[in-house]
Amino acid sequence: MKIIKNILLVISTFSFSFGALAVDTSFPNDKVTMWGDYSGITLDVKLIGGAPYDPLYQEMIPVWEEKTGGKVKILSKKSHFELDKEIKQDIAAGNISYCVVSNHTSFATQYGDIYRDLNGIIPGDYLAEFVPLVLDHSTVEGRLVQLPQHSDVSNLWYIKSIYEDADNKKKFKAEHGYDLAPPETLDQWKEQAIFWSDPPNFYGTQYVGKEEAITGRFYELVIAEGGALFDDGWHPTFNDEAGQRALQWFVDLYNAKAVPAGVLNYLWDETGLGFASGTVALNLDWGGWGAYFNSADSKIGGDVGLVRFPLGSGGKRGGWSGSHTYSILNGCPEENLDAAASLIWILTNHEAQMHEARGGKLPTMTRVWDDIANEMDAEGNAFMSNLFSTFKASMAEDAFTPPLIPEWIPFSNIIFPELQAAIVGDKTVKEALDAAAKETDLLMQDAGYY
Amino acid sequence: MNRKFLSSPIILILPSILAIGFVIIIPLIFSFYTSFTSYKLTRPDSLYNFVGLRNYERLIDNVKFWKAFGRTILFLAIVLNLELLFGLGIALLINKITWGQRTLRTIMMFPMMFSPILVGFQWKYIFNDNIGLLNNFLYLFGYESAIPWLIGKKLAMGSIMAAEIWANTAIFSILLLAGLLGIPRDPIEAARVDGCNSWQVFKNITLPFLMPFIFIALTIRSLDVGRAYDIVHIMTGGGPAMRTELIWTMIARVGYKDANMGFANAMSYVSIILSIAFTYYFFTKLVAARRELGQQ
Repeated sequence: MKIIKNILLVISTFSFSFGALAVDTSFPNDKVTMWGDYSGITLDVKLIGGAPYDPLYQEMIPVWEEKTGGKVKILSKKSHFELDKEIKQDIAAGNISYCVVSNHTSFATQYGDIYRDLNGIIPGDYLAEFVPLVLDHSTVEGRLVQLPQHSDVSNLWYIKSIYEDADNKKKFKAEHGYDLAPPETLDQWKEQAIFWSDPPNFYGTQYVGKEEAITGRFYELVIAEGGALFDDGWHPTFNDEAGQRALQWFVDLYNAKAVPAGVLNYLWDETGLGFASGTVALNLDWGGWGAYFNSADSKIGGDVGLVRFPLGSGGKRGGWSGSHTYSILNGCPEENLDAAASLIWILTNHEAQMHEARGGKLPTMTRVWDDIANEMDAEGNAFMSNLFSTFKASMAEDAFTPPLIPEWIPFSNIIFPELQAAIVGDKTVKEALDAAAKETDLLMQDAGYY
Repeated sequence: MNRKFLSSPIILILPSILAIGFVIIIPLIFSFYTSFTSYKLTRPDSLYNFVGLRNYERLIDNVKFWKAFGRTILFLAIVLNLELLFGLGIALLINKITWGQRTLRTIMMFPMMFSPILVGFQWKYIFNDNIGLLNNFLYLFGYESAIPWLIGKKLAMGSIMAAEIWANTAIFSILLLAGLLGIPRDPIEAARVDGCNSWQVFKNITLPFLMPFIFIALTIRSLDVGRAYDIVHIMTGGGPAMRTELIWTMIARVGYKDANMGFANAMSYVSIILSIAFTYYFFTKLVAARRELGQQ
């Protein structure tokens, strides 16, 4: 019952934590502003929703409406997986006359040419503020179809106190022959996760276990193990030895009961809340949870450590990365374009990114990386300073996007059930990857890659 | 000729014909046509890319589809039978009650009032291995292992069946209770006078009278369960490893997530065979049951 009490407490304070920080509505540090008089204009928008995203809308949209006279009508707000399905239905129905929509660099390539090129709509001096590589990732066939709000890449969070405990150190060294410290390699991560596990009260680690989430995790482990999903001719190669080692890692943890039994039904909220409930030792996750993990609302507040994604046998770290973005649809009426651009500006500008970064989300604007680090240093907030220095290094040295091709999601839908089949023991690792490779081969052939 | 064509009966039923045409016939023809194309939701032009029988040919070799098809039949068979048993039991018990029957009937229908999505979330929470009510309840009694209700090969399907049965058994109860209330008392009293025990009365009088109601309920529910989607989608999404994949979760993924609507529609038309087969079977049984009762 301890677990259930902890998690219920965490869930009850979850929304509050994400919404606790306010913005400075005078926008003192925004060099470029995009205010205008948009009285009489109502922008129809569809947005990604949920506790990590809503606070920014709640802060910024009323300010935008007050200062411009425009109105924002949110037609739908849902998880990105649900929004993705809705956009596809909208395309089929020809219902793409709304103006602004949440997007993601991993998803954008699927939707064809429904988005406007933001070059020419968003001023060049504003675009120049963004990290060039992130803008590259936001570009599809030479068109800037989305403007990034924040980026994500994952690093390894851990509960500090269990690593500092003298008994644990002694016991671990006796069992494994090296000093207990946060893992530096995938093998150490696995060993330590098994060491910490005491199911059903406490688990060594966890992973997101379904849909694109587990595909992405597998992808970055394949890279860390020195492999690749595809060769240069887009033939699947993830069933080679590196791919098998990557999948075996998930299988071993599951078989050792070092992850919760229901992990294959987990997505981001389940892993984040599970770690904050204090029942998991090591948790690979993005920075957006950081402030919350370490807050008084979390059961492990003040006891959270962070290290870079451990190295794989290929000498590389995982770094599956992408950015949450906003796009303007072609169907947005010409007379609303300036207002749409202005709305995107207020959701991505310096103030918005600082607001998000104070919670741990990773900025996409070059200047904000420095400003948030300086702010945290000035406050003496060592935890957040470490968060940004760790994630900055990851973004600079490890981050890579999934293949930016329209087939990424259909590919993910092919491979993730096979990954799960190996994890639960319905197939061997080799059988599962070979089956996925065979089906992926057909997908790529049909798509005309070869 | 024109006058005859536009006679009053034709004019009167014309709105219905037009409504049915727009709402049912045209979408059916359209979706049937798309099953012969490579139509992708995200590429509206592909609607005109006619590929003949290719989608159906691929379906014949698609092991995953046929496994989902078989799983759906198994799901249908188990859920329908258990709902019938529980529904009949509840109806018989409520029929015995002489005080508070209306209140109990209303309470019995509560699960039907929840949307399937809400039912899915509620049972997903109950069966969650970590924070779920069921496992934590078991821990109270000293059970020390987290049971993966939504993961295990049989457990996951069983958990979904439990949710489906909880939500919809009342349909059987209500229909069968209506049947029980309509049974004439004379044959039952005559049988008791002749010395029949309760089981003999139930088997030889009550059950034959109930059979038409049972087959109507089975027909309605077989169409419902054959289209099961919401509860499965919320609880497991068809996973893990496709262990709980039913036809409609698969069709929804292919159609909406992969945006491969032409292929998804081909799957839909093949899966309709299942609904037609069950409906035909139950209707044949219904006619036979009515004949036995001397009804036509």
